[in-house]
Amino acid sequence: MSNAMMGHVSLEQAKSLVEFLETNQQEKADALVAEIQNPTNSELFAEIGKLTRQLHDSLTNFQLDSRLNDLATADIPDAKERLNYVITSTEEAANKTMDAVESIFPVVDNIANQVKAVSPAWTKLMNNEIDLNEFKSLCKDINTLLVTTGKETIHIHSLMTDVLMAQDFQDLTGQVIRKVIDLVREVEDSLINMLTAFGISAEQTQVKSPPKVGDNLVEGPVVNKEDRDDIVEDQDDVDDLLSSLGF
Amino acid sequence: MKVLVVDDFSTMRRIVKNLLRDLGFTNIQEADDGSTALPMLQGGDFDFVVTDWNMPGMQGIDLLKAIRADASLSHIPVLLITAEAKKEQIVMAAQAGVNGYIVKPFTAATLKTKLDKIFERLG
Repeated sequence: MSNAMMGHVSLEQAKSLVEFLETNQQEKADALVAEIQNPTNSELFAEIGKLTRQLHDSLTNFQLDSRLNDLATADIPDAKERLNYVITSTEEAANKTMDAVESIFPVVDNIANQVKAVSPAWTKLMNNEIDLNEFKSLCKDINTLLVTTGKETIHIHSLMTDVLMAQDFQDLTGQVIRKVIDLVREVEDSLINMLTAFGISAEQTQVKSPPKVGDNLVEGPVVNKEDRDDIVEDQDDVDDLLSSLGF
Repeated sequence: MKVLVVDDFSTMRRIVKNLLRDLGFTNIQEADDGSTALPMLQGGDFDFVVTDWNMPGMQGIDLLKAIRADASLSHIPVLLITAEAKKEQIVMAAQAGVNGYIVKPFTAATLKTKLDKIFERLG
């Protein structure tokens, strides 16, 4: 306000004041008097006005950013559902596989037992030490073994196909997880944008902080073992650590 | 020998049960966290506990501590099978009196070795 430097009131201001009063513009006249009395105040008001407008615009822009709204109300709940699907389908696959394997165990054990049963007589036969009765009995046992093995290998084959087919979850869960990763990336970008809008440098916050842990330091599986030095790599590390403690 | 397998994931309980059965343990019961396991232990004559660490409700490490603090249970050997792999946690488990510590993912051979070692020590 250069006029303030020269004196309290300029000729121009006085003329405007007279004009406002003559044309019945009392409010404008009052404002002018206030400005003449305290020019810095009006500068301050102008600055506050500008900031208010900016804040208003920013808030409006936030509301306009419907993507952010979609992320919170649609995409994130959808991602939760997708991850639950991963839990369910991997659990199903594990159970299907174990169903098949658990039915194979007794079948294999049965064959192994029959082989064990014929084995002594078979050894005698191979060594030419078998008598006729033993030989007849061995023939019967071998016959049973062949029938059982023939039947059960078909059974095992079909169960192994079940194990094979139970692995089809990997393709589906892989796609689902990839989608969730994309979403996480988008949310990350939005958060960084928001931080930037509020004048917080995103780079500053990129300092690697240790992961959150629960009670008793519980963290769950560590996926970046090579980047950590507070973690054991494998069972050998565990055993070494325990033996160093006198275990 | 009566064994209690404690894990919140039924698939992991099933895996451990199958492996134990293969090693000759046939009397196996299950619990899905420490707070279910503890009354079962107090009510039954269990000889051995295999437990996960990270479970909702009572964690495996707290179950271990509770077992060691209970005079009628403190003699029961406890094997932890867990994805928790911080050195500090392994030390914590050792101090709490764990008999064996297996990190997931693990193999049938590892389980056998640890079991042999635990029962060899107990004599």
